[in-house]
Amino acid sequence: MNEAAEHDTVLDTGAEQLGKTYARALIGAAQSAGIADKIIDQLGSVVDDCLAVSPQLRAAFASPQIDNNEKIKVIDRLFGESCDPLLVKFLKVMAGRGRLAHVDAVRAAADTIHDEMLGRLVATVQTAVPLDDALRSKIEEQIGSIMQKQVRLSESVDPDLVGGMVIRVGDRVFDSSVSNRLDTLARRTRNGFSSQLLQRFGELTSE
Amino acid sequence: MKFSSDEIASVLQEEIEQFDSKIDVREVGTVLEVGDGIARVYGLSGVMAGEMVEFPNGAIGLAFNLEENSVGVIILGDYLTIQEGDEVKALGTLLSVPAGDAVVGRVLDPLGNALDGKGPVQTDVTRPVEIIATGVAERQPVTEPMQTGIKAIDAMTPIGRGQRELVIGDRKTGKTAIGIDAILNQKGKNVKCFYVAIGQKDSSVAGVVDALERHGAMEYTTVIVAGASSPAPLQYVAPYAGTAMAEHFMFNGGHSLVVYDDLSKQATAYRQMSLLMRRPPGREAYPGDVFYCHSRLLERSAKLSEALGSGSITSLPIIETLEGEVSAYIPTNVISITDGQIYLQPDLFFAGIRPAMNAGISVSRVGGAAQVKAMKKVAGGLRLDLAAFRALEAFAQLGTDLDAATQAQLDRGYRMVELLKQPQYKPMSVTDQVLSLYAGTKGFIDDVPVSAVQQWEADFQQFAHDKHSDLITLLDEKQDLSDDVVEKIEACIAEFKKGYKPVESDL
Repeated sequence: MNEAAEHDTVLDTGAEQLGKTYARALIGAAQSAGIADKIIDQLGSVVDDCLAVSPQLRAAFASPQIDNNEKIKVIDRLFGESCDPLLVKFLKVMAGRGRLAHVDAVRAAADTIHDEMLGRLVATVQTAVPLDDALRSKIEEQIGSIMQKQVRLSESVDPDLVGGMVIRVGDRVFDSSVSNRLDTLARRTRNGFSSQLLQRFGELTSE
Repeated sequence: MKFSSDEIASVLQEEIEQFDSKIDVREVGTVLEVGDGIARVYGLSGVMAGEMVEFPNGAIGLAFNLEENSVGVIILGDYLTIQEGDEVKALGTLLSVPAGDAVVGRVLDPLGNALDGKGPVQTDVTRPVEIIATGVAERQPVTEPMQTGIKAIDAMTPIGRGQRELVIGDRKTGKTAIGIDAILNQKGKNVKCFYVAIGQKDSSVAGVVDALERHGAMEYTTVIVAGASSPAPLQYVAPYAGTAMAEHFMFNGGHSLVVYDDLSKQATAYRQMSLLMRRPPGREAYPGDVFYCHSRLLERSAKLSEALGSGSITSLPIIETLEGEVSAYIPTNVISITDGQIYLQPDLFFAGIRPAMNAGISVSRVGGAAQVKAMKKVAGGLRLDLAAFRALEAFAQLGTDLDAATQAQLDRGYRMVELLKQPQYKPMSVTDQVLSLYAGTKGFIDDVPVSAVQQWEADFQQFAHDKHSDLITLLDEKQDLSDDVVEKIEACIAEFKKGYKPVESDL
C-alpha cells in the first residue's frame, strides 16, 4: 500500500474526496482562529518529517488492528509539544473516526485549497539547464502578470528538451522547447511534402 | 522512374521556410491506468466528450467518459506500449478520416490507414467520423431503385436508394453473400460501395477482397477492416468511419452503398468498452445507449433532397442471430431501426434454396415505391403467393388427395421456388429478372420438370440475349410492361419453348 502511494499517478478517488472534506474543515477552523498559514505548515511537516521518514508510524496509523485510543495517545506523545493544539485536536478527530490513513490526502487537498484561497498557483517549469535567479524571477513575474496570481515555481531539469522551456500550469502546457519545435517542424514538413508530392508528382520525378 | 533530388530539395526548403514556430499550448493529462484498449487519464480538465487525444507512442484516443476526477479514453491503436504516467495531449478536434476518390479501391483500417500495402491514402479531403444525421427538411422519400441483382430480393423485398435494409440470419446462411452480390451488381451504375468488416476473421475478409477483385468490383469499392484481432474501440468506430467516407459521395450528389458486416460484433465491442468503462450494464449486459449506437449510425443513411444534390447512402446492416432468435436484444433493436429485413433461414439454406430468404417474414417497408414498373407488375403477388404455397405445402404433406386447382398451385409454387434460386456472384440485371419472373408467374414453366427449371432459365436467358436483343433493349429503356413489350416477351418465350427440350440438371 505504501509503495502504491508513492506514485503520484495513483488516483484514489475515495481518499481524494475524503481529503478535501477534512481539509476544508481544518482550514475553516484554522482561519477562524487566524492561524491558517501556521497550521498548513505544521501539517506539511507532520507528513514530510514524520510519516515520510517512518514507514512504521504510517503503517501504525493506517492499521485497523491498533485501537483508536492507542493512536490518540501516540498523537499526544509525538505532536502534543511541537504542534498547535488545533492540529493535534484535528488529528485526534481523524483517529477517532479511523481516518488516519488519509493524512497525506488531507495535506494535498489543504495545500490546494489554501493556494486557491490566497490566489496562488503552482507552475511547473522544465528546462534543459538549471534556472538562474534572474530568469526565475522573470518567469514568475511574467506568469504572474498574465494569470493575475501569485506564482510558486516548481522546477525540474530535463536535458532531452535540448533548449527552451516547458511551463505547466494546471492541465495547460506552454511548450517552447527546442525538441518539441524540431518534432513539429519534422511533422509539418513531412505532411507538406507529401501533399506537394501528390500535386506535382510529374515535376519531382523523371522517366 | 527517378526522383529529381534538386526539385525535392527545393520543396523541402519551401516547407521549412514556411514553418513559423509558435509556442505550443496544449491541454495535457497523465495516464493513470491502461489496458484492454482503454485508459484512464488524470487531468485533461478542459477536454470535450469525443475529442481526440494523442499518446506519446502516436496512438490516437477518444475522450469517452468524463468523470469527476478522471477521463476515460478509448485507444484507437496500439495500447500495449502506453505506460502509466505517460503524458496525454488533447488535440482539440474531433476524429476524422480521409474521404473522397482517394479511398476508392483501397483496404483501410477505421482511421484511414492503408492495410493493402499500396501506401498511405493521399488526399486532403477528410470528414468527421461522428456527425448528426441530416434532418427531415434535407431529405426526400426513397423512390429510386437500388438493385441488388438477386431475384428474390429485387422482386419481393425491393430496396431503394437511401433505404436501410437489414440482413439477418444465423451463422453460415449466406448473409455476407447477399452484401457482396449487391456490391458486384453496382458495377457501371456509378454507386460507390463500402464494405465494413467488423470483428471478422482476417481470412474471410481477404476472401471477400479477393472475390471483389476477381469480379472487378474493387474499382468502386472501399473495404474498411477492423478484424477480430483489432482492439474493441477500433471495431466500435469502424461503421462510423465507413459511413463518413460514404457521406462524402452522398453530399456531393453521388450514390453509395454501405454493407456493415456485422453490427452484432460492433455491439459486442461496444459492450466490452462500456463494461470496462464501468458504465452500468443493462439487458444482456449491453449498455443503455446501445440502441442509440445503432440508430445514430443507420440514421445517417439517407436520400438527400434535390437542393442538396439528391445523393444517397443505402445501407445493408448485417446481424447474426443465435439459433434463429430474432427476439434477442440487438436483433430487435436493429429490426426496429431499419426499413425492413431480409431473414435468412438455415433449413432453407441446407435444402438448397439459396439465397435462403424466408419470403414470409422478410419485408421492405419503403422499397415498393422504388421498384421499377415492370418488376412491380411481374412480382406484385409473388410474396403472398409464395407464403400461400408454403402453407399449402405443409398441408399437402398430410397425404390427402388434392383437387386439380390445389395441385396446380402447388406445382407453380415448386417451380417458383426453383426459379428464385440463384448462384453466388451471379447478379442479374433487372431486365433479365423481369423476363425470368414473367415466364414463371404467367405459368410458362408449369410444364418444365421441377429439377430442370434452373437449366431452363439459364438457356432461356441465353436465347433471349442472342436472338431477341431488341426485346432486351426495349425493356431496358421502358422498364415497364406495356402491351408491345408483353407481346414481344410472350413471342420470345413461345419461340424458345418450340425448339427446346428441358434437360434435368443438377445445378
